[in-house]
Parts: sequence; structure tokens; C-alpha cells
Amino acid sequence: MDPDTNDIISFQELSLDKENELEELEEEDELEEYVTVGFLEKPKHPKFLLRHRFPSKTGGAPAWLDPLDLPTGKSSICDFCEEPLQFLLQIYAPISDKESTFHRMLYVFLCPSMICLLQNQYEQWKHREEDPRRSVKVFRCQLPRFNAFYSSEPPRRDGNDKPLIVGAALCSWCGTWKGEKVCSSCKRAPYCSKKHQARHWKSGHKIQCHQIIGNLETNSSSVLREKPPDKVACRLWPEYEMVIEDECAFDLEGSEDISCETSSLVPKHVTDDTYQFLLDKFEADDNKKSWASFQERISKCPSQVLRYSRDLMVNPLWPLSIGRPSLVNIPKCKYCNGSLCYEFQIMPQLLYYLGVKNDSDSLDWGVIVIYTCLASCESNVRYKEEFTWVQLYPTAPVT
Amino acid sequence: MAERGAGDRGGFGRGFGRGRGDRGRGDRGRGGRRGGRRDEEEKWVPVTKLGRLVKEGKITSLEQIYLHSLPVKEHQIVDTLLGGRLKDEVMKIMPVQKQTRAGQRTRFKAFVVVGDSDGHVGLGVKCAKEVATAIRGAIILAKLSVVPVRRGFWGNKIGKPHTVPCKVTGKCGSVTVRLVPAPRGAGIVAARVPKKVLQFAGIEDVYTSSRGSTKTLGNFVKATFDCLMKTYGFLTPDLWLETRFSKSPFQEYTDLLAKPTKTILIENTERIEA
Repeated sequence: MDPDTNDIISFQELSLDKENELEELEEEDELEEYVTVGFLEKPKHPKFLLRHRFPSKTGGAPAWLDPLDLPTGKSSICDFCEEPLQFLLQIYAPISDKESTFHRMLYVFLCPSMICLLQNQYEQWKHREEDPRRSVKVFRCQLPRFNAFYSSEPPRRDGNDKPLIVGAALCSWCGTWKGEKVCSSCKRAPYCSKKHQARHWKSGHKIQCHQIIGNLETNSSSVLREKPPDKVACRLWPEYEMVIEDECAFDLEGSEDISCETSSLVPKHVTDDTYQFLLDKFEADDNKKSWASFQERISKCPSQVLRYSRDLMVNPLWPLSIGRPSLVNIPKCKYCNGSLCYEFQIMPQLLYYLGVKNDSDSLDWGVIVIYTCLASCESNVRYKEEFTWVQLYPTAPVT
Repeated sequence: MAERGAGDRGGFGRGFGRGRGDRGRGDRGRGGRRGGRRDEEEKWVPVTKLGRLVKEGKITSLEQIYLHSLPVKEHQIVDTLLGGRLKDEVMKIMPVQKQTRAGQRTRFKAFVVVGDSDGHVGLGVKCAKEVATAIRGAIILAKLSVVPVRRGFWGNKIGKPHTVPCKVTGKCGSVTVRLVPAPRGAGIVAARVPKKVLQFAGIEDVYTSSRGSTKTLGNFVKATFDCLMKTYGFLTPDLWLETRFSKSPFQEYTDLLAKPTKTILIENTERIEA
């Protein structure tokens, strides 16, 4: 059928099914979205994940970009259970437009307790003024190219790379947070909090402490600095490197739908009540629809753990329709009062890779979406807090 | 000396940053990595907790999922649990049209029935621009909607159950389908369409009676499916015994107590027919 002549004829026959037309447009627009996805891979060598290589990684201990001015105090603990937060992942996301964001890292921490996550989901709806408590925290750190911590030349990747200065002492138990407090007996082991000190003491420092004191008396060797924190004992998540790919690179079988050219022999469509019944039963409510489109989108690359897009036109991919934030729920930037925009989201496949147990009270989420300052502002605080939104699967079965 | 643009980063690596204006299509020439990743793509990475439990192997049969009325959101769960026993059949491909400015837009609606001929059936309906896509989508939806079918005896309780336990009826639109228990050897006495569904369910003998515009295949199939869903909803005297509750794989104990009926029926029947 010639589309031009048809235009004139079918103009009058337009069935103004506006919703369906919009749906069609949305379908085509989705293909244009530019999204980067992250996968997990075992690192070729743990050295590659140190901070002077500017890695994107999951699990283990974070590679702090600014090694001195680490977040401390209330920012490092869960607001509900007062435990220090556990490191989830970090991504290297520089913005090439500005000089101050030549190096830019985003760190995600969360409390591994599901109870805290449930309370967090409730509190995230609260307005900023009420100072809601959170158990998921994201920090952004950025540095210009010429800075005091790293060379302005790219890392040579030949095994000899080193950062310019040694960082601050990290907690001997978790290796994540700054070790501001010190063990009172040996005065050598740094800790980030009383809880970690108690745990380290119970799990071996009691014996080591005496050895260290003994060593100090004989010769001054800092034995403790070189011993890395015991990842198994303190239940840090397994370490992976994050590999970055464009989502459209997987579009091989994606958009092969040839729009069928219709012939006049096919009879006109008549809306039937029976179709409506079927539609109601099988293609039911909003939740199912968003789940279906979610599944379809991730089926292109099912092992993705992170979706990134700083494009203003891109919306986050929500698995469910309930529990989504509206524009009112997203506050302004804490430091510059500018607006926030969606930057990346963490997918539930990550839980599979982290080996999280599947008991009734273990960690589970639908998606964690992170909104960051649009202008990526500078301020005195080195690690700026950003806004997160958690969407959990409903615990009771929703019919 | 101001560095602008991604190209000036040199060996620093671009990370996730792409810049806001950059809407390039990305490098499709990265065949190497993509090629290697193909096998990984076939592997299923579960997205829900139930999926992770099934992948681990903690849940071994669909009955455990039915027992606690857990919603199945990933079709790979059913694939893993029912495995190769699951067969599928396309009942009908029906073209449906919508009028647009530039003529008519035809899409294809596929009806697929899935089943293992041993007490599990599923029905899926999907509309898509291409026939193959519609069939694939309908198979996935059918797997998600797999339900258990209760079978019973017509007379003497000898051997395995072979027919519906009682007279049940299902309705969709104007079509009502009534299933009546039949003695062994009667076979499935039904029209071509419900016969297929009943074969997939694993029912060997049954008498049927239908009413309404059975020409509309969609409604006919859905009415039969509805009927089969009701077999486990019918309270018979052998289910009068009260059941002890068991703890769900990942729900709070209080949630379970709030929905008692379904758990009672399924647990008891499992014991009888085990």
C-alpha cells in the first residue's frame, strides 16, 4: 500500500486510539536509549583493583579515590542499627565536560540487614527536612587531573604503578572505613568503630595483640600494617571487577521485527468483547506490565548487574510499578541545591553473584536507583552523599 | 591546556562516563568479547529470591511453590523444575488489526498450551508483530501460568487417578465447559480444542459438556483452563482433615497464617496422592 495516497484516504478513517498511538511511539523511542551496562568478572589480578588504577568493582574493600578525607561518623553507619555499612560497589564515572570531574567515583554502601532495608524503604518517602534515616548510602568523590594523590599521566599497567602518597589507616577488621580509633592495648591496630574492635578482638587480635606488644619492645616493626583484613571472617562480599559494555552491543536479535505490510485482503479488525476478557486475565495490571517489559529489557544481557545512563531522556528501568518515586520525592542536591538526575541503578542479579543466602531474612531488592547532582558540584566535603531509591519486591503475594 | 572531550583522557580509561550529549550507537565491532559472552548469555541469572532458591536447588518441586502460593515471576523456574517433561503446542495464530493513519497494522496473537501430561498445565497468550516472537512470548507466559490439576477416580480407587475428582465447570465469556468424571477406558470425550488441553493436563478419561459460542477459541480454551484450575479448589470429604502448616521458604510466619485455605487443601492431597 502506498503510504502517501493512504494518508489522504485514511485521514478520515483515523481511529483516534490515542493511548495505543503513544504506546507505539514509546516502543520506538526505547530503542534509541543509550544505556551502558556493567557485568561482573573475576579480576585478572587483585592489584588491578587498587585505587591508582581507578577501578569499577564490587565487593571486598573500597578503593578510595581520595585516600585521606574519608567519610566518618554518622555517614559511615546504618542509621537504624548503628552498624558500620558494608561496601557494595564503586564505579568510575568521569565527566569529560568539566575539569574538576576528570576523576569521579561513586561508592555504594549498604547495611546487609534486611530489616534495615525494609525500614529504609519506608523512610525514603519522607521529605528531606525530616532528616530521614537511611541504610543505603552513596558517596561521590571527584578530582581534577592534576591532584596531589595520583600522577597526571595514565597508569602504565606494567605492574609498577603506585599512588603518589600512602592513604589513611583503614580499620583492621573491615578494611573499609577510616581507622580513627586505635586498640588501647597495642596502640597499633586502627578501628573504625567499637563494634569492629570488639569483633577483631574476639577473632584473633587478643592473641596477636600480645605478640605485637612483644615485637614493639624488641624492635619497632609495624607488623600490623601489612596484614590485610580477613575478608572471610568479617563477611565482606566477594570481590569482582566490573566490566563495561554498551547495551546496544547486544541488540543482535533485538529489533528484527519487520512491520508487516498489510494487504487489503485481510479483513478489518473488529473489537471483540472476548479479546477484552483475555486481555484482562492475561495481560493484567500495571505491575505485570512493568515486570514484562523489565524482563524483556534484561533478556538482552541477563547477567547485567548495573545500568548506567547520564542522559536526561533516559528513565530508570523499574521492575514493578508500585513503589516508584515521583518528582516530589526526589529532593534537591544537599550541597548546591541543584536538581538531581538519574545516574545508575543496581540490578538484583548482583545478589546472585554476591552469593547472598536466601533465607527469610536475607538481603533482597528489586532495584536500587541512584540519583546524583546534575552539575556534579564541588564542595568542602570530599565524599558527597547522593540520593538513593530502593524498590523492593512486595513481601506478601500481590494478586 | 584544558582537556576537553573523551579522547584526551589518554590511557586513563573512560569508565562509565559518556557525557550527556553523546548519543552514539557504540562500537558494534567488539566481536571478540561478545562472542565469548554468548554462552554466558544462555545461562540464567535469577532476578528474584525464589529464582535464586530454585537455581541453588533448595526447591525441588513445583508443589513446594504451590503450597505457599508464591508468585512465579521467572519462566526459567518452571523450566528448571519441570525440565524436559514440559511440552508445548500452539493452539492458534490469529491476526488482529488496528487502524492507523497509514493503513492497518497487523499483529499476530498466539495461543500456546504447555503441559507435562502429569498434573501441570499452563496457558499463554501473546500478541506481537512477528509470528515467531508471539509464539516465543506465549510459551514464556504459559510457563509462568502453570497450575496443578487434581485428578481422582470415577469409582473404585484402584491404580492411579485417571479422571477429574468431581464435576467441575469453568466459564469464560459466554463459553461454559463442564467436566464430568468418566470410567477408565472412556478416553477424553471432548471437542478438539479442550481435548488438547486435557491431554496436556494428564487427564485420561473425562466426559465434557460445553455451552455458548465455542467457536471463539480464546474463550473456549480459557474456560477449560479455568475448569482445571478449580479442581484443586473443590473441598471433598477426604480433605476435611485439618493440616499442620509448614514454614514458607522465605515468608514470615505471620503472613502464612493469614492465608490458610489453599495450604490445607494442597498439603493433604499431596499426602494422599503421593
